[in-house]
Amino acid sequence: MPYVIHLLIMVSIYSILALSLNLVVGFTGLVFVAAAAFFGIGAYVTAIVMTSFGFNFFLACIVGALFSALIAFAIGAVLSKFRGDYYTLASVGFNIIIYSVFLNWQTVTRGPLGIPGIPRPSIFGLSFSDNFSFLILASLLVILVFLACRFIEQSSFGRVLRAIREDEKAVSVFGYEVLYFKLATFVVAAAFSAFAGSLYASYITFIDPSTFFVNESIFILAVVILGGLASNRGAVLGAAVLVLLPEALRFVGFPPDIAAQMRQVVYGLLLVILMMYRPQGLMGEYKL
Amino acid sequence: MDILPQLILNSLIAGSIYAILALGFNLIFSTVNFFDLSYGAVAVIGAYAVFYFSKLLGWPLFVAVPLGVLISGTIGFLLYTSVYRRLRMRRSSNTVLLVASLGVLTALQALLAIFFSSQFQTLSATSSGERLFSLFSGSITETQVIILLTAVAVLLGLAFVLKLTLFGKAVKAVGDDEEVAKIVGINTDKIIGKVFFIGSAIAGLAAILVGFDTGIEPIMGLPLLLKGVIASIVGGIGNVYGGVAGAFLLGFVENFGIWKISGEWKDAIAFAVLILFLVFRPQGIFKK
Amino acid sequence: MEDNKPKILSWVILLAVIIVGGFFFARTAKAPEVAGPISLGVILPLTGDGAVYGEPALNVYQLAVDEINKSGGVGGRDLVLVVEDGKCNGKDGANAAQKLVNVDKVQIIIGGICSSESLAAVPIAEAGKVALFSPGASSPDLTGRSPYFFRDYPSDASQGRVLAELAYKKGWRTVAFIQESLDYPLGIFKAFDARFSELGGKTVKEEFPTGASDFRSSIAKLQSQKPDALFVDTQAPAASVRIAKQVKELKWNPPLLVADIVVGDPKTVSENKALFEGAFGAEFGVDPNNPKFQHLLESYKQKYNAELPYQAYGQTEYDALYLVKEGIAAVGLDGQKLAAWSRTIKDWDGASGQVTIEATGDRASGHVLKIVKDGKTELYTE
Repeated sequence: MPYVIHLLIMVSIYSILALSLNLVVGFTGLVFVAAAAFFGIGAYVTAIVMTSFGFNFFLACIVGALFSALIAFAIGAVLSKFRGDYYTLASVGFNIIIYSVFLNWQTVTRGPLGIPGIPRPSIFGLSFSDNFSFLILASLLVILVFLACRFIEQSSFGRVLRAIREDEKAVSVFGYEVLYFKLATFVVAAAFSAFAGSLYASYITFIDPSTFFVNESIFILAVVILGGLASNRGAVLGAAVLVLLPEALRFVGFPPDIAAQMRQVVYGLLLVILMMYRPQGLMGEYKL
Repeated sequence: MDILPQLILNSLIAGSIYAILALGFNLIFSTVNFFDLSYGAVAVIGAYAVFYFSKLLGWPLFVAVPLGVLISGTIGFLLYTSVYRRLRMRRSSNTVLLVASLGVLTALQALLAIFFSSQFQTLSATSSGERLFSLFSGSITETQVIILLTAVAVLLGLAFVLKLTLFGKAVKAVGDDEEVAKIVGINTDKIIGKVFFIGSAIAGLAAILVGFDTGIEPIMGLPLLLKGVIASIVGGIGNVYGGVAGAFLLGFVENFGIWKISGEWKDAIAFAVLILFLVFRPQGIFKK
Repeated sequence: MEDNKPKILSWVILLAVIIVGGFFFARTAKAPEVAGPISLGVILPLTGDGAVYGEPALNVYQLAVDEINKSGGVGGRDLVLVVEDGKCNGKDGANAAQKLVNVDKVQIIIGGICSSESLAAVPIAEAGKVALFSPGASSPDLTGRSPYFFRDYPSDASQGRVLAELAYKKGWRTVAFIQESLDYPLGIFKAFDARFSELGGKTVKEEFPTGASDFRSSIAKLQSQKPDALFVDTQAPAASVRIAKQVKELKWNPPLLVADIVVGDPKTVSENKALFEGAFGAEFGVDPNNPKFQHLLESYKQKYNAELPYQAYGQTEYDALYLVKEGIAAVGLDGQKLAAWSRTIKDWDGASGQVTIEATGDRASGHVLKIVKDGKTELYTE
């Protein structure tokens, strides 16, 4: 049972990441490959203010989200100039630059040594140190983010976004500032991703830069694509499948020395097959 | 001590490798218009083929190296016929192709690790005792001289083929507009197949040279790919000379960046250059 | 859209069946055991950059397990390894630990090889009352981290200190570092720098990201600062070889200092004789005259048809299995008792020399100076 709880917590964290990335990829149709950067900013800010300044987890969470939103604003302003493959590539660039900061700004982030001993959340004497209560906290956050995403989607703001995805020119003709809509979505998504980072840091209790490299962004993107673009339920389902799949593969029984590499092979082939036979993902509204 | 001559030499050596990578990548990208991420893995396969034939079977290098290049080309061609052609026939978007090629990259790197282990290998016969040449106050090895010459040879060869042969004209026509090319009677499928073969063979050559200069490991595919991509875009996508100019610019910026800033920021610097170019000169140094 | 729904539903159901089925299978298959084989958890990197350490480590574990089982196992019960990939990072280290602790219900985990894996696994092992025994993690952050954690590989702190003292005695006042941006090389640098500046020396440093293969400009930059010696400080010997080769290619011949992973790997040293001739390193006790160590080298060669790489780690990995065997024989298969027992290990004779575990969980012995001579690593005496 504790193993199942652990997996559910990981699913929750990736659900939040997928829901927020879905806001960007699903609603603007731009393939963003730097989700791990904001995940990392949330995790690092939370870890630093909790271990060095003794902040409460929930306060640290908010500081992390604000910080992430601020950086997203700057990056988003630059990214808004690009579209298509160039957008994708530039976002990879930002991920690598932010990763380099985690790795090399050693006075603040401790660089490759990572930050150990990050405390678990507690509030009003209520502690989330055991995994079950942590799962409840994580699920609550998933529900909150889920509802927020649905609200954005169904509001008039969301309708404009959807229209932008279908025909950007037409929308701008009607007098909407397309740039403003895209940037606002981006900033909100970055703040949500930071929540996932805070949860992660406090749950694993140790973070190091390697978790926030481009590979992780690609993984989160794969979650969104598998679940289906612009589908919130799809994002959660995608997170469940891709987090649980490698775990399930642990039980298949390859010889141990090649099992780990085989997992990578299976994961790679899954992406290829999915693209060939179901590019809209499991519950997607539209194709990439 | 004056380190300037050495820095210039280092930049030229790095630039040559990037140039070869960019030439192959540029050729494929400008013809099919999608980011083929498996390019990195295809390159490494060629280097491992040389490792297998020359180090494990003891074949002479003049057999092993051409065989390695051929194998890279063949794998590239097979990937096109088995995966990318099908996806393109279904009118999949570029993003779908990008994600599928990502799956291929992941799977191939893991397979290499299964067959050859993750251990670092070198292709050169001995790790020292290579002939050294002095140039001003810098020094350069025999292998590196070969790298410089190969880059020039590949550039001239490719420029000749693309500018002066019928095949080159057909490639350009397909890259400009596949539909129109089809209508005027070009067998686009055959042309693209050949482009994949040639581009992948060039990639293999680059990885083999890296293997002789420094060494190979299964996970080197992604860095090789990214350097080729950045060089292509900075130089100008679809322009043979552009990719080479971008490669040398990248080589110089990286190496002088180490001198003025510090080595650990090398990748961040490379991507910062890319983003600056995308913002201020998206068409690259040379327009198509 | 509508006609897609049944299809999606069947996907979801299929998935649910697989997952639930998988857990059921896993849970029923691993009932608490009183007889039959004893499962030992193993966390090590099998994919990614760290796989170069994980692969030989797994070989050594398997070798030791085979030997133990052949001689009757522990109280007649065989040992079996449950191996999980920690990928040398925190997240996968935590995942692996969660599975081993909660699904396989192991009482002791051997691992991780990397400090990041171990740091992330500690709280999980502690919560599950499982002993965590690392034969490779050397981060000073692990010292005294948990009563459930212990290691038979010493902390990095002593390696850097020993080399700094040597450098100062040699009359070097400026030492250049070329260091990989990873926890282990950074740990060595920090320890070296702290001791060396205390003595009155100065370090200059260039870092490089993992996976880099062209170091020429970093080397040229360090060379231009005219240091008295160069410390090549990398996570794996391969990168050290590349750097040493490029140093020679730039016609620079500074006195070299290298990390224990280089002097501890006879293959690297003998194949790159010319590169590392005269290089100093501080290795933690590989004693070629120790019969247990000789036995490990021979049986490894026999079984895998290759020299044992990273001998400084190989010896502690080998000892780890035998220590676990003794522990289980002494206090039974119980994580809490095993962890408490570990603190009583004193002057235990193993392939890595005499093992003593301190109350902090650290191994109580340090590094000794080595020098490379004619393709072999020798003990250095002034």
